[in-house]
Amino acid sequence: MAEAKQETKRRMTRKLRIPPVYVTVALLVVVGLAFYLGNPNFLSFYNLNTIISFSAILLMVALGQMCTILVGGIDLSVGGLVSFISVAFILLIKPIGYIAYPVCILAGMFAGYINGLILTRIKIPSFIATLGTGGILTSLAYLVSPRPVNLSPDNYHVVDTVVNGSLLKVSNVLYIGLAVLILYFVILRFTSTGRNIFYIGSNIKMSWMSGINIMKTRNIAFMLSGLGAALVGITMSSIRYGGDPVVGTAYVLNSIAAVVVGGTALTGGTGGVINTIFGSVFMSMLDNGMNVVGIDQYLQQAILGVMVIIGVTLTFDRTKTPIVK
Amino acid sequence: MNDTSNAQEAVLELGQITKEFPGVVALDRVDLAIRRNELVGLVGENGAGKSVLMKIMIGLIQPDGGTIKLHGAPITLKNPSDAIRNGIGMVFQEGSLVPNLSVTENLFLCHEADFRKLGILSLRSMRAAARELLTQLKLHIDVDLPVAEITTAERQMVEIARLLWLSKLYGQENPVLILDEPTTVLADSERETLFEILHELKDRASIVFISHRIQEVLENCDRIVVLKDGKNVTEMAASESRLLKIEQLMVGHSFSVDRFHRDGEWRQAEKEILRVENLGKAEHFQPLDFTVREGEIVSLIGLVGSGKEAVCRCIAGLEKADTGGTFLDGRKLPGGSPSAAVRAGIGHIPIDRRSEGLALMMSVAENVNLLVLNRLKAAGFLSPAREKKNAHHWVAECQIKTPSIGTLCANLSGGNQQKTVISKWLSSRVRLLILDHPTRGVDVGAKDEIYKLIRKLAREGIGMLIMCDTLEEDIGLANRLLVMKDGRLVKEIASSPEQKPTPQDIIGLIV
Amino acid sequence: MTEVSSKGGRLTALRKRFPAPLAAVGVWLRRTGTVAQILSLVILVAVFAIGTKGKYLSWANIQTILSLAAIPAILAIGLHLTVVLGGIDLSVQGVASLCAVFVGLLMRNQFNANDVGLWIIPISMGVGGVAGVISGLLNTGLRIPSFIATLGMSWVLYGMAVYINRAVNVIILDERIFNAINGMVFGVPQIAIFAVVLTIIMQFVQNRTQFGRYLYAIGGDEALAQQGGVKVVKIKIAVFTIAGIIYGLGSLLLACRLGVATSRMGNGLLFPAITAVAVGGVALTGGLGGAKNAALGALIVTALNDGLVLMQVNPYAQQAVNGIVLIGAVALTLDRKKLGFIK
Repeated sequence: MAEAKQETKRRMTRKLRIPPVYVTVALLVVVGLAFYLGNPNFLSFYNLNTIISFSAILLMVALGQMCTILVGGIDLSVGGLVSFISVAFILLIKPIGYIAYPVCILAGMFAGYINGLILTRIKIPSFIATLGTGGILTSLAYLVSPRPVNLSPDNYHVVDTVVNGSLLKVSNVLYIGLAVLILYFVILRFTSTGRNIFYIGSNIKMSWMSGINIMKTRNIAFMLSGLGAALVGITMSSIRYGGDPVVGTAYVLNSIAAVVVGGTALTGGTGGVINTIFGSVFMSMLDNGMNVVGIDQYLQQAILGVMVIIGVTLTFDRTKTPIVK
Repeated sequence: MNDTSNAQEAVLELGQITKEFPGVVALDRVDLAIRRNELVGLVGENGAGKSVLMKIMIGLIQPDGGTIKLHGAPITLKNPSDAIRNGIGMVFQEGSLVPNLSVTENLFLCHEADFRKLGILSLRSMRAAARELLTQLKLHIDVDLPVAEITTAERQMVEIARLLWLSKLYGQENPVLILDEPTTVLADSERETLFEILHELKDRASIVFISHRIQEVLENCDRIVVLKDGKNVTEMAASESRLLKIEQLMVGHSFSVDRFHRDGEWRQAEKEILRVENLGKAEHFQPLDFTVREGEIVSLIGLVGSGKEAVCRCIAGLEKADTGGTFLDGRKLPGGSPSAAVRAGIGHIPIDRRSEGLALMMSVAENVNLLVLNRLKAAGFLSPAREKKNAHHWVAECQIKTPSIGTLCANLSGGNQQKTVISKWLSSRVRLLILDHPTRGVDVGAKDEIYKLIRKLAREGIGMLIMCDTLEEDIGLANRLLVMKDGRLVKEIASSPEQKPTPQDIIGLIV
Repeated sequence: MTEVSSKGGRLTALRKRFPAPLAAVGVWLRRTGTVAQILSLVILVAVFAIGTKGKYLSWANIQTILSLAAIPAILAIGLHLTVVLGGIDLSVQGVASLCAVFVGLLMRNQFNANDVGLWIIPISMGVGGVAGVISGLLNTGLRIPSFIATLGMSWVLYGMAVYINRAVNVIILDERIFNAINGMVFGVPQIAIFAVVLTIIMQFVQNRTQFGRYLYAIGGDEALAQQGGVKVVKIKIAVFTIAGIIYGLGSLLLACRLGVATSRMGNGLLFPAITAVAVGGVALTGGLGGAKNAALGALIVTALNDGLVLMQVNPYAQQAVNGIVLIGAVALTLDRKKLGFIK
C-alpha cells in the first residue's frame, strides 16, 4: 500500500523536480532587474563592487551556517560569536599582534565545538543550545568591551596588510572570501567528513546503522560554523578598524536567509556551496538594492523574515517528518 | 464455551473481501462472520492477511471488493471513528493510549461531553466513572496514574474498557472487539486473567482474538478461523479442532517450483565466520548459541514474539545484549556499536530500506560508495573518478536498473532500491550479511534477481543470516534453519537442497 | 523539574519499597509537579540572603522581585503552551515590539491625537492574537517547524514595528492602566497579583477543560492523539493564537509600566521567557508542565537575576548566567526517550 503511493508520487514529482539553484538564479535576475528599473545606479561598477564585497563577507558565515543546517541542525549563535570575536580580535592585536588572527580563528572553532558537544553529548536540540550559547557569547562580548573599541593607529598595519589591502584592484576581502569558499567546497565535496555531513542530514538513522561517526561529524559541522563566524568577526573589525559588540546581531537572520533562500533545505542533506553562494549574493543584492531604490530600511528586516519563511516552505522535505512540531 | 451449533445471529459479516496492493493480493474473497456472544480466534502465518483484514474491519483501509454488513445492513467504514460509532474497535499490539495522560483522561479522550458542565469538566465524576468501568474488568488501579506508569496488561484492560464504554455511548449493544496478539506481551498469570475477563465479556460483546499461539486459541475460543495467503482456509468450532490439523492448514501444500534456485546452492566450507555464544537479552530472548559458516545461509524462523529480530539487532550492534557475545572470525565484538560491527565486516540490510537503508535524496553512486569512501581517495581526497568506477561496477554486478549513477535513489523502484542497499554492503567486502526480509515490498521479477544474488554471494563465501517473509522463502533459501519460539532457540534443522523440510514440519515448532 | 518515568515507573518501584509516606509525597508530587522548583527557590533565596547579608530578604526587595517577575511570568505562560504542544514559540520579541508600537500610537500620547483609552486592551491582545494565528497557520498549513516559523515571524513583526514607529520613543500619557498595575495591595504589587490570577485561570483551563486535555494529548503523542480523535490542527492554531493574545496583554502592561512605547521594547524578552519555561519544569519534548510551572520558573529566574544584581555581579555576566541556566534546565527536563536522534 505504501509502495503504491510512493510509485505515484515518484512519477509526479520526477517531472517537477527543478533544482532549487535555478530558482535562486532566476530570482536574482528578476529582482536585480527590478532594482535596476528603480534606480539605474544599481548596476554601476561601484555598486556591484559593494554588493560583491558584502556577499563575500556574508558568504563566510553563511557557509558555516550551511554546514550546521546540512547536518540537520541550525546555529543561532553566529551573531554572538561574530560580536565576540570582533571585539576580542581588536583587543588582542595590541598585545600579540598578528597572532590575534590564529587565536581568534581557533577561538571560533572552539566555540563551535562546544555547540557540537552540547548537541551530541547533552543531547539538547541545536536550536535551543545555540540560542543559549549565542546569548552567552553576546554577553561575553559586552563583558569584554561594553562599548565599541577602536584599534589604535599604531596597529593599523596588522589589519591593513591582511584584510584591507588589494591585489589587482580587487580588495583582499574578496580573495579571503574566495579562499574560504574553496576551503568549504573542498571539505564538503572531497572529504569523508564532508560527505558524511550529507549522509547524516539525509538519513541519520541509516548513517548510524552504517557505522558513520555521528558525533564527530556533527562536532566538525559546528566547528565549521564557528570558523565562518570568527572569520567574519575578524574581517569586519579589520575593515572598520574597530570592534563593536553589536556588529554580529544581524548575521543570524542573514546567514540563515542566505542558506535557505539559496536552496538548502532545513531538513538537511540537500544543498551545497553553490546554493549558498547564490543565496549570499541574493541577500546582499536585496540589502543593497533596497537601500539604493529607497525602500525603508526598517521594512527590510520584515522582508527578510518573509523570505526565510518562503524559502523554508519551498525546500522543506516533508516526507522526512510526517509530524511537524 | 458456547455451542456454536445454534444458529446465532451474525453481528458483523464480511463477505468476499478483496484487497490488492501493487504486486500482491493481500486478501482474496475472504468471508468472515462474527456472531453474537462469541470469541473467535483468527490465526494465520505472518503475511496471511490477518492484519489487512482487521484494518478493513475498523475502517483504516478500504477493501477493493466485497461487502461489510452490520446486523444485516450493509455499511461502509470510512475511518476508525466510523467503526467506533458502529461498535467496532481494536486494541492494537503497540497500544494506542497517550502515555502522559492519566487512565481517566485516556478513557474518555474526545468524548468528555457527558462530564462537562458549562465547559468545565467534573473530575470527580470522571474518576468515579473510570473506576466503575475498570472494576467491571476486575482492574483496580489508581485512575490518576499516567498511562506510562501502569503495566502492559493494565493498559490492555484500559483500552478494552475504553472501547466498551464508547460502544455504550454510541448505543451499540453488542460491540465487536478485536484484540491483536494481546498475549504476546503478557506473563502467564496475566494471560489467565485476560481470558477470564474475555469469557465474561462474551455475554455482552463479540471478540475477535488474533494470536499465533494456537494452543491457547483452541482452549479459549469458540470458533477458529484460519487464513492463508489471503484466503479463507477453514473455520471450525474449536471443540472439533486439533492442533496438528490447524497447523497444517496454516501452511498449506508445499511448493514445487524451484523459485529459490536450489541448484545454485553450494556445499559450504567448514570455516566459521560468525559465532554467537550465550547471547541473551532480557525480555527479548534467552541465551542462545549458533554459528554461521562461510558461504552458508542460515535462516532464523519464528513468529511474532519469538525474539529473532532482536537477535539480529544485537548481532548488528544496533542493540546491546545482556549476556554473552558475538564473535566474527574469532574476534569478539563490542555490543551496541553499529560501527564496530560494520568495521568487523557485518552488514545489515534493514527491513525498511526507505527509512533505514538509503539516503533517498542522494544519488545511487553516493549510496553505494558510502562505506568505502576511504578506499576511493586519491592523495587524501575523494576521487570522483574512483567513485564513478566503483559505482558503475556495483550497478553492473547487482544489475541495478537506473538511468544513471547520479539518479536519486528516491526515483528507483523498490527492487532496485533494495539492490542498491545490498551493493553498498557488498562494496565494503562484508563477511556476514544480515538480511531482514530482503524481498519485502519487491515485485516478483526483482525478487528472483535478489534470490540469484543471494546464491551468488554464498558461492563467494559470504555468510548470511536471513529472515524472510514466508516459511517457503526461508526454507527455500537457507541451508540451515534456526527455529525460535517465545525467546528460545528451540531447534536447528538442516535444509540441504536434497532434503528440504516442508513448512508443515516447521509450523508445529513455532506456534 | 518534573520527571515522569515511562516504563513501569521508578515511582512505582519506590512506592513498593516505602509505601506510606512516599505514597503521600508521590501523590503530591504528581499532582503539583513543582517540588524541585520550590526547592530550588528556597536554596536560591538562602544563598542570596547569606551573600547579601540579609538585604535580599528585605520587604522592599521581595516586592521588587515580585513586581519584576510578573511580566516574564505572563509571557512565559503564553509561551509554555506552545512548548507543551511539543513545539516552541520564538516570536515573543517580535509580537511585543509590534504591540508596543500599537500601544504607543493609539493611546493618548504626545505625537498624535489618538486616544483609544481602555480599548487598547482588546486591540493589543488582538494584534498578538493575529500574529499567533499566522504562526499557527505556518506551522500547521505550510508545515514549517514551529521554531523557524516563529523565528521568521519574530523578524517580520519586528521589522514591521520598526517600520511603523521609526525608532521613536513614544511617551504614553494615559495613566489609567499604569496606575492600575503599579499599586500595591497589602504590600503585594498589583501586577504580581494579576500574574497570579492569570496563572490560576490558565492552570484551571489546563486541568478542567477538554481543551486542556487535548493540549497534553498532542504533546504526549501527536499521532496517537490524532488517532484518538483530537482535532490536532485546530488545537495547534488555537494554542499559538492564545499565546499571541497573552503576549499582547503582557506587552501592553510592560509598555504602560515603562510609560514609554518603543519598537525596541521586545528586545531581551525571549531569553527570560524561555528560561522561565524550562526552569519551571515544562519539558521541551512536550506533554508535561502547566501554567504554574511557567510562572514559578519566571519567579526563580527573576529571583536569580535580582540576587546577582544585589551582589553586584557584572550585568553582562548575567546574560551568560541565564544562558547556562537555560541549557542546564533544558538538559534536565528533556525526555530523551522521546527524542531519538536529536537535531
